[in-house]
Amino acid sequence: MSADVLRAWRPSKGEWDRAAATHLTRRAGFGGGPGEAATLANEPAHDALDDWLSRDAYDERVTKGVHALLPGGDTQRVAAWWMSLILSGGAPLRERATLMWHDHFATSDAKVDDVRMMYRQNELFREHGLGDFRVLLHSVAKDPAMLVWLDGGANRRGQPNENFAREVMELFALGIGNYTERDVQEAARGLTGWGTEGRAFRMRAEDHDDGEKELFGERGNLTGDDVIDRVLAQPACARHVARRLLEEFVTSSPEPAWVDDVARALITNEWHIGRTIERIVRSELFFSPAARRSRIAAPVELVAMTARGLSARIAPREATEAAARMGQALLRPPTVKGWDGMRAWINAGTWVARHNAMTTAAESTTVDWGAVLEGEDGGTPEALAATLVSVLVPDLLGGTLEARLADALRSADGSRDARASLGAALVLTAPEYHVV
Amino acid sequence: MTSTRRQFLVNGARISAALPFASGLSFGASRDNDTVLVVLQLSGGNDGLNTVVPHRQDAYFRLRPTLSIARGDLVALDDEHGLHPSLGGIGRLFDDGRVAVVHGVGYPEPNRSHFRSMEIWHTADPIDAPTGVGWMGRLSDQLARRTVGALPALHIGDGELPLALYARDSFAPTVRDASGFELRGSAAFRARRDALLRDDRAAGELTAFLRSAASTSYRAAARMEQAAARHSGTEYPGYALAQRLRLVAQLVSGGFDTRLFHVELGGFDTHARQAPAHTDLLRELSESVAAFQRDLTTSGVAKRVLTLVFSEFGRRAAENGSRGTDHGAAAPVLLIGDGVRGGLHGRAPDLARLEEGDVPFSTDFRSVYTTLERDWLGLEPSTSHAALDVLG
Repeated sequence: MSADVLRAWRPSKGEWDRAAATHLTRRAGFGGGPGEAATLANEPAHDALDDWLSRDAYDERVTKGVHALLPGGDTQRVAAWWMSLILSGGAPLRERATLMWHDHFATSDAKVDDVRMMYRQNELFREHGLGDFRVLLHSVAKDPAMLVWLDGGANRRGQPNENFAREVMELFALGIGNYTERDVQEAARGLTGWGTEGRAFRMRAEDHDDGEKELFGERGNLTGDDVIDRVLAQPACARHVARRLLEEFVTSSPEPAWVDDVARALITNEWHIGRTIERIVRSELFFSPAARRSRIAAPVELVAMTARGLSARIAPREATEAAARMGQALLRPPTVKGWDGMRAWINAGTWVARHNAMTTAAESTTVDWGAVLEGEDGGTPEALAATLVSVLVPDLLGGTLEARLADALRSADGSRDARASLGAALVLTAPEYHVV
Repeated sequence: MTSTRRQFLVNGARISAALPFASGLSFGASRDNDTVLVVLQLSGGNDGLNTVVPHRQDAYFRLRPTLSIARGDLVALDDEHGLHPSLGGIGRLFDDGRVAVVHGVGYPEPNRSHFRSMEIWHTADPIDAPTGVGWMGRLSDQLARRTVGALPALHIGDGELPLALYARDSFAPTVRDASGFELRGSAAFRARRDALLRDDRAAGELTAFLRSAASTSYRAAARMEQAAARHSGTEYPGYALAQRLRLVAQLVSGGFDTRLFHVELGGFDTHARQAPAHTDLLRELSESVAAFQRDLTTSGVAKRVLTLVFSEFGRRAAENGSRGTDHGAAAPVLLIGDGVRGGLHGRAPDLARLEEGDVPFSTDFRSVYTTLERDWLGLEPSTSHAALDVLG
């Protein structure tokens, strides 16, 4: 019974298809390029999963390029640089995890106001985001941007500031109901003295409260590191992380039993996030109806999967600005809770932003329609509709969207590229496309 | 929550219907449910003492040897106070009873950091670290819950979304100008777009939700287009602030359902050679607001719209050595509209009783907020601070 939910998927013939491959690329990354889902679907599922999950390479010219941006002090240029890593698709799962942790340990430049600290935190998520969660949490707790964001510097002996202590329990590691107010206060005392100096972590011994504390019912002369260790030792911690992984990779409302199974898998894997995610991605659950088309695409996902799917050359800065207009400004999450996601993405204003970004992409002159349509000529409205739906929303092939699209394209004329661009604009602005 | 409820009871019937979400769409009988709040933010710290000048106090002239304004140049308010000479337009509105000046608005232990003090005003919380939800965002969430698909709040400007508008469940778009709701797409595309949305068949809960949101959004865009095309005939000056307020007037008079607007006028951080800059800024403020009020009156919506003019802090009572002023504490706020009880309210600053060289606050800004939140908009207030009696 236990761990059943993570049983490896062994698809029967026909189950591993373009729709399943598209689900893999969009959920465990930011989508594939033209023809990529078809190529993956033609391989055995096991090989395709190996292929996708092993992609973990960066173009050094791009990664190094960030150092030229930092002196300018403009954090939005670093956000655009990050977007270029996402758009390149070299390390889809690692970038996906980086974004997940940015959302989880949500820190905003609105307060940090320092491009180097924001960059450093972003690299921290990239470096440890698929590694040991215990290392990740310890690193985040000492991360300069986080210390500024949650007032580490103000947390001193005799005048504790509970900001970080509270969030590490409420949002980062345990969840409400798994600690008391007393635990927050005592943890804050243990963390006193942790601050920054010149953009680096600094322990100010003179500000540390070295008295005895009582945390989670145990007494001790706790340091900040001890506090983080005790948080990690709480049974709620693995479940909290497990729920986060399930929300990101499976569904926003995971069953409690799934959370238990994934928490167990996390501990079995020595808290290794990457290996746990791999188990999830290779599982029956990941490809089950509960997971398929269960999310409203977040703005960054939407922009990236569209640019990649059409191989449209969109400047990274334009992509981050488009996502910001839809409500997701990278490096500026609204609160320490991160983005609420799902329906909260959508209102009249953000839908206009989605609409405009999608039509702009579909009408971009940089799209190679021959590649997008995978060589199909789309000669009839029906053929064009079928091709576009199979490329952009393969789960819905043969459904009413395809029929409505064929109807809408009936009176369209002009070159193949013009008709393809029109059809793509219709699909990309259709609500169906925004469900992933 | 408990103290908020008690406040409702203490303050009687007017607000009893505004108990949180109990009755969904129903509002109190005191106000129509279409009141609009425009928050006009003067960024940088507006010099309150040269905005509403206490010209009977000799200390004013002593503290400001080069920056004080001669009594005869002021726009008279009462025997003791006059507006900066640039504020003639607002002075005329004051004479009509359409401006409430609230003296000495601030909060305890004033913070002189622009960022922190703005954050305090935006969150209505001088103590706790911001949770990232602003006071207008809380209102926006309440409105969004009452009317699904509504667009409760808009930020009109070209900067970032102000923290005040950050909400938990709703999202306030930033609109630079009337083109902000313009839908892109070729003509061929627009002609076919609606055909694709038209489908009643079950498509899954999320798709159905998005379909409804998209329809709402396209209707809002069309209304914005119509509203923006309406011209009341009112002349506006060329200032950026005037153009933004014009858009607010167009949207309100055009039947747009947005009830919270945030607009900004920046440049008030006048540490050096203050006089010419401050004169220009206040003229932009006054002439823009005057045109806005004329427009609202012409369009027949003046009763529904109230404008709050605030800044994150006032400035030091004494001028500095650069003919400017440094960051201070309390300052007057203005409430402008047909719905206010015109006049001067609250305790005027006493320059003989400064605290660390600053005007101390006599009215907590959260009382201003309660007035607007509960009594003007009919919503649950951010805090339990008592409301002011400044509405008509």
